[in-house]
Amino acid sequence: MSVDPFTLEIIKNGLVVANEEMFQAFARTAKSPVIYEVLDFAVGMTDSRGNMIAQAPGVPAFSGVLDFAAKEVLEKWGSDLHPGDVIVSNVPYESGTHLNDVTLALPIFYKDELIGMILNKGHWTEVGGMAFGSWNPNATEIYQEGIQLPCVKLYKEGKPNRDVIDIILENSRLPEYTLGDMEAQVASMKVAEKRVQTLIEKYSVDNILLAMKKLLEDGEKYARLKLKELPKGEFEAEDYIDSSIAGTEEPVYVRAKITITDEEFIVNFTGSAEQVMSPINSPYPATVSGVREVYMALTDPHAYPNGGFFSPLKVIAPKGSIFHPIKPAPTSTDWEAIAFATDLVWKALAPHVPDKLTAGHFLSIIATIVGGINDRTGEPFAIVEPQPGGWGAGYNMDGTSGLVACGDGETYIASSEVYERNFPILVERYMLNVEDGVGHGKHRGGFGVIREYRILNSQVLVTIQVGRHDFPPWGVNGGLPGPGNRVIVYRDGKGEEIRRISAEVLKKGDLISIRTSGGGGWGDPLDRDPKLVLEDYRNELISLEVAKKVYGVVIDPEQMEVDWEKTESLRKKRRQC
Amino acid sequence: MGYRLGVDIGGAFTDLVGYDDETGDFIWVKGETTPFEPSIGVLSTVKKSRLDMSKVIMVIHGQTLVINSIITRDGAKVGLLTTWGHRDILELQRANRRDMYNFRYKKPKPFVLRYLSLEIDERIAGDGKVLKALNAEEVKRAVNKFLKEGVESICVSFLNSYINPEHEIEAGKIIREVLRENDREDISITLAHEITREWGEYERTNTAVLNAFVKPKLAHYLSVLEKEIRGMGYKGPFFSMLSNGGMASFDFVKEFPIYSIESGPIAGVIGGIAIAELMKEKNVIILDGGSTTTKASLVEDLTPKVHSEYYVGRDKFNPGYPVKVPVIEIEEVGNGGTSIAWIDEVGNLRVGPKAMGADPGPACYGKGGQEPTVTDAYVINGLINPEYLLGGEMKIYKRLAVKAVKKIADYYNISVEEAAEGIVKIANENAANAIRIISVQKGYDPREFSLIAHGGSGPMFAPFIAEDLEIKKIIIPTIPPGVFSAWGMLLTDIRHDVIATNVVKVGAETVNIINKTYSEVDSSLTRIFEEEENLSADDLVIFHYADMRYKGQEHTVKVPIKTGAIKEEDIPDIIEKFHVYHERAYSFRLQDSPVEIVNFHGVGVVKVKRPVIREIEKENVSVEDAIREYRDVFIHGDYSTMPVFDRRKIPTETKIKGPAILEDPTSTVLVLENQELVKDKYGNIVIYRG
Repeated sequence: MSVDPFTLEIIKNGLVVANEEMFQAFARTAKSPVIYEVLDFAVGMTDSRGNMIAQAPGVPAFSGVLDFAAKEVLEKWGSDLHPGDVIVSNVPYESGTHLNDVTLALPIFYKDELIGMILNKGHWTEVGGMAFGSWNPNATEIYQEGIQLPCVKLYKEGKPNRDVIDIILENSRLPEYTLGDMEAQVASMKVAEKRVQTLIEKYSVDNILLAMKKLLEDGEKYARLKLKELPKGEFEAEDYIDSSIAGTEEPVYVRAKITITDEEFIVNFTGSAEQVMSPINSPYPATVSGVREVYMALTDPHAYPNGGFFSPLKVIAPKGSIFHPIKPAPTSTDWEAIAFATDLVWKALAPHVPDKLTAGHFLSIIATIVGGINDRTGEPFAIVEPQPGGWGAGYNMDGTSGLVACGDGETYIASSEVYERNFPILVERYMLNVEDGVGHGKHRGGFGVIREYRILNSQVLVTIQVGRHDFPPWGVNGGLPGPGNRVIVYRDGKGEEIRRISAEVLKKGDLISIRTSGGGGWGDPLDRDPKLVLEDYRNELISLEVAKKVYGVVIDPEQMEVDWEKTESLRKKRRQC
Repeated sequence: MGYRLGVDIGGAFTDLVGYDDETGDFIWVKGETTPFEPSIGVLSTVKKSRLDMSKVIMVIHGQTLVINSIITRDGAKVGLLTTWGHRDILELQRANRRDMYNFRYKKPKPFVLRYLSLEIDERIAGDGKVLKALNAEEVKRAVNKFLKEGVESICVSFLNSYINPEHEIEAGKIIREVLRENDREDISITLAHEITREWGEYERTNTAVLNAFVKPKLAHYLSVLEKEIRGMGYKGPFFSMLSNGGMASFDFVKEFPIYSIESGPIAGVIGGIAIAELMKEKNVIILDGGSTTTKASLVEDLTPKVHSEYYVGRDKFNPGYPVKVPVIEIEEVGNGGTSIAWIDEVGNLRVGPKAMGADPGPACYGKGGQEPTVTDAYVINGLINPEYLLGGEMKIYKRLAVKAVKKIADYYNISVEEAAEGIVKIANENAANAIRIISVQKGYDPREFSLIAHGGSGPMFAPFIAEDLEIKKIIIPTIPPGVFSAWGMLLTDIRHDVIATNVVKVGAETVNIINKTYSEVDSSLTRIFEEEENLSADDLVIFHYADMRYKGQEHTVKVPIKTGAIKEEDIPDIIEKFHVYHERAYSFRLQDSPVEIVNFHGVGVVKVKRPVIREIEKENVSVEDAIREYRDVFIHGDYSTMPVFDRRKIPTETKIKGPAILEDPTSTVLVLENQELVKDKYGNIVIYRG
């Protein structure tokens, strides 16, 4: 019996809510802070063919990977799937991201019929490999990055598969956390399954299948509407990834060609460099995720991100390239190349879709680890964090300052007070990076940050990977680029700029100075409203000199006023040359 | 004796209730809210009550000035002093991108401009030691700059002041001195540690800055009220509702207005708890269905959940502004009686969050509203009696409702009644979602709770929600929905919370530190009651809670701790209690992990005499006498005839089977076919399912 459109709406909502409940249940019951604090996980549900009907990603980089895992499970296990099975998978190349992100899949059955699949992909703190936490800028092949789980059964018809579980736990430095997260993952998926079964009981299986179909159709219909609003044609962008983080002699060339029609949105990365022997490679599903993020930004950031909505999107990346690496390429810091997949599409389209996109931002997550044994307590400690930075200017707005990069989402930067209480460091400065500045323009970029840690322990080990230094955040329409990200380490008062360090020793009194880049500008700085230049000066964001040299604005610092006459003649002169 | 008054400012109306403890007399009056000068509406409502103010013994006030002033950014020009190197704290915030696919995302705008955020050379370390003494000269220079720039309110927030506030105290003294020298003592001062002693510099600074922002305005407003009401002959004390579910003297709120950021909805929860207590229910969900939003709150063991994790203006895509003061947890969704039904881009029916409010209101009000609303749907399907809304005081036009809903019906090519039922279904689903968020998503099973539904639309949503979430029992309070919040105010006690962060591992060796920290919290509470409230500490009852966690984890759970000195032998009990609470909230325990207290939370309460709900006199009437009419109501896709009762005439303690509609001049209650209702001896309607 088919139902009225409003009841169907309620069933659809039920399926979406099932995902949200799974999301909350996992966030509430996981044992690792990376799950419940950083929300580094995603949950979702597909139909019986692996089409994503509903999902809840905690970070944007996870918005496009679950359906790959679902399709892999269907391909490998097909008719050998049974109620109560749970499949585990983390191999990056064709269905995953870096090894830390472990996907579990639970098939949903009605009687003997497979009607869908529930998925939960979470960042496990530890999956073994050469370094604690399983990611390391120095890895050269995947075998150094941890255990690989090639789509095998974790539960068989409701019973745990002890063999596989024991192998997983034996390969983890933190087996208790690994087991805890895994169990929480399974429990959260059961919450969603139960909800779906209740919906079936209440509304019949046919109506559930109808609701699944309708969710996909709605998504697709909405995507086509949004596609109509975009400019049509071909758009291109190119860029380089810093050689220092790619472990190469030359910078790594990347490019994208975007073709937009009324029906399709095609992103082609052909021509980008080959995979590298450093872990920044972006597995194909991660590349797709990166593109899906900017596709959401371009169409409707508040759209519901399901398979139907993504159906016009095609991503082409040749095998063996940095955007589609093959075994044994390392991928544990894949976020660096994923960010470029997002950024290339962004860069190509920013001038054409100004109401949705800004100029370039600081892009690199600048993943930082400071750890060691605390002198005072004798206990180990570790700070693991991304850094915030400056975002680009828009056609009618200045960029936002001090925001996490595009690969992060609802990610909170820790409180200095909490750090100082828990760890032997002093957060000497945490402020806007007015020293290195921003990309100036009619609208200027947002400011990066200066974040400085003074070491109070006899020694600590520091790992940092700094991208977007040599090729800084780009400007649009005459807006200037940002300054680029920098990290300086001061030992005995002597500063040295670092780009990629792994478990390097720092001593008491040493200082780490992280200085993230400001965003790119939009439009010619000489067109900036002098009153805004005055505001920036009054707020001590720019100097008198920058106001004059870059913006052609003469300010009387005593009266805190613009000297309009002098400004006009200076700008006139500057425009002529 | 005499009356105690509760006066609550709402969006459209200012409600007043009065209760005479001795005679049990209960009065209520509604006046218009005057948003531009709220004191006018309050005073005219008080006058409208025609009470002899010289015989009133207590005035309790709930205001929306603090929240409105923040939302409209209409407050004082604030100057901020910060620690050197940490000037941009208000701009940096936590750097999160809540609207994660929006590449043009903007953070909430700070309440202090950068040039008025000045760094002071001073430093307290993470363990509270002074690393660098306060530079007094810099403070003086900063204050002089503030004076020059026309600053009206000064805020001081230094790093680690939660553990050692001595630099903030010292800076406060210097500021006061400079202001005195310049004869500018009208400028108010807020020291962050006086607002909260919890760690987290952004959240604490923002809270303190918001306090500074609203302080001059609120102090002025409360002074005007005091003066005017005193002028009417009133001699008793003035209290203001606080967000923690208690109340405090006007003097306290003038100093710390941020503590009263939420009041009306909070009073509704307090009222709900009183009903629960009366009905001997321990675990309830309180649903407040208003005209533009629906609010839900979960109460376990008659205790509301009070947390200092409140945000102004936070939603799915906006991080909002953190406010670290104790607030009763309430979930709000944009779905109420005047919410608009609309068709989205791909052709799905939606309800809310946009609403028509009171003016022009739903189409059926005939005040010019054209959009179809939930109320219009009720009118079309016969759930609301067009002749009887507000007892017939208000004219309802069914044909206008039909005209508005026809747009929806035509789109789907269905009848107007079917479209109206679609609107009702979606609105019910939205309201149920609010309850799912506070229960299922936090680890509670809604089937173990009873539902208390009040507000104009609460009793209309409740029967459907109960079916959906399998809730067994619904209670519709006897207090008229329009004044439920104001009535709740009369039930509040004088309450203050003090929360202090001090990370302490729980063990035999730390008993002294734990006791010392609690005794500091207790003396802060005693000081507040004696100095700010002018009350004797003899009447003060103190409760202790601890925000506890496993060492190495960030998230905490709030655990009640016994009051009075803790002994070594109490430690295992405290740890075990934490394991139990943690397991319930997070589903696991780490039996061998060390356990820490992060926040020491003290609650001080001085009880106030409460109004009692009296039993109604039993009349010898039959159920049939209470039936006003039989009406055709469109439900489940067809018309069916059901009895409509006059709620007031229904005999008590008599079972009536659904389907049925209950009406009285202020509300409509719907009972579904497999439900049964009983009016209890107090006049509350209790609906049982299945």
